[in-house]
Amino acid sequence: MTPIRFTPMARRLTGALTLAVAAALPLAALAAEAVQSLKLQVNGMVCSFCAQGIEKRLQALPDAGPIFIDLRNKVVAVEPRAGRSLDAARVASEVREAGYEVVATETVAKTVAQIRTETRAARQER
Amino acid sequence: MIHCTLPAAWRRRAGIACGAALLAGVPAAFALPMASEGSWMTMADVNSGGEHDIAVNFAVTGRDALGVMATRWTEPVRHDGLHEQHHVRESVGLTYTRLVHRWNLPHAQANLWFVGAAGRARGHGWAGERSFWSPAVMADYETTRLYLGAGLEPKRGDGGLRHDTAWVRAGFSFYEVDYEQVQPWFIVESKRVRYAQTTRHELTPMLRLIHRGLFVEIGRNREGTQFNVMWAY
Repeated sequence: MTPIRFTPMARRLTGALTLAVAAALPLAALAAEAVQSLKLQVNGMVCSFCAQGIEKRLQALPDAGPIFIDLRNKVVAVEPRAGRSLDAARVASEVREAGYEVVATETVAKTVAQIRTETRAARQER
Repeated sequence: MIHCTLPAAWRRRAGIACGAALLAGVPAAFALPMASEGSWMTMADVNSGGEHDIAVNFAVTGRDALGVMATRWTEPVRHDGLHEQHHVRESVGLTYTRLVHRWNLPHAQANLWFVGAAGRARGHGWAGERSFWSPAVMADYETTRLYLGAGLEPKRGDGGLRHDTAWVRAGFSFYEVDYEQVQPWFIVESKRVRYAQTTRHELTPMLRLIHRGLFVEIGRNREGTQFNVMWAY
C-alpha cells in the first residue's frame, strides 16, 4: 500500500486550515450564546396563510433577522439582526396586529437555526 | 384632470394581480377571502359546469379588503315548462371583504366573514345591462388537520336577476407539515346554486394543495372538472 505524501505547501495549508477551524469554533459558540432570540406561543396560527401574514409583518421590523415558524406547535421564533436586539413587546404586538393571539413570550439564548434543528430533532424522537 | 400616483411597489403588485387575473381567464369559491394587511390576493375558480369567477383584492387593514370581481355563469332557463336552454351571464363588480370576527384557539382558528359586492351584469335574453348586489356571509373553522367551512352568497339584481350560491365544505389533511412544505388536503364541497327559474346541485371531492401563500384545488363532479386557485402576495 502506497503511503499518501503531502507536499510542504499542502502541509502548511492543512495546518493553517486546522488552526482556523479550531479558532472559529469557540467564537461561533460564543456568538450563539450571545444571541437572544424570541419565542412566541401563538394561538390561531394553524395554516400557512396565517403564518405568511405573521412572517411578512416580522420581516418588516428593522431589528428582526431570521424567522422560524413551527405550525405544529404554534411557535414563532425570531432572531435579532447582528448587533441588534429585539423589543419583545413590539414583536408580540406585530403578531397581534396580524390577527393572532400571543399567549406566551420567552427569550432564549439560541439562534433560530438552533431552534429549528432542536424542534425537528424532538419531532423525530417522538 | 386628476392624476393618481401610486407607489412603485403598489403599481408593480397591481400589475402582477391584473396579469394573474387575465391568465386565469375568469374568478372564485373562497377559503380565506383576503390576505394579511398590505397584501394582495388573487382568486380564480373555473368549473366545467359553467361557473367561473376571478377576483383580486387588497387588504387595506388586517380586517378589510377592497377589490374587483368578475363572474361568468351558464344559467338554465325553462321554456314552456319543458324545454331548457342555457343562457350565459356575466357580471363585474367591486367587492368589500370584512373579517367580522376571528376566534384564536390554542389549536384552531375560526372566522366569520362578510363579502359585499355590487356592479353590473349582462347576458343572453336581457335588454342591456342591469345592476346587481351581493351580501355574502362565510364562516370557517380550521386546525392543522381539519377544515370546515360554509357560505351563503345571494346575488340579486334588477329584472329578476338571481344567482344565489350556498356551500358547505369539509375536509382533512393527510398529515401535518412544516411551514416550508406543501400540505395536501382532501376536501368535499356540496354546493347549491339557485337561479331565477332553476336550481343546480354539485357534490365535488377535491384535492387541495397549500404552500405558503399559494392554494390550489382540483376536483371533479358530475359536470366535469373544477379548478380553484388562490394566491396571497
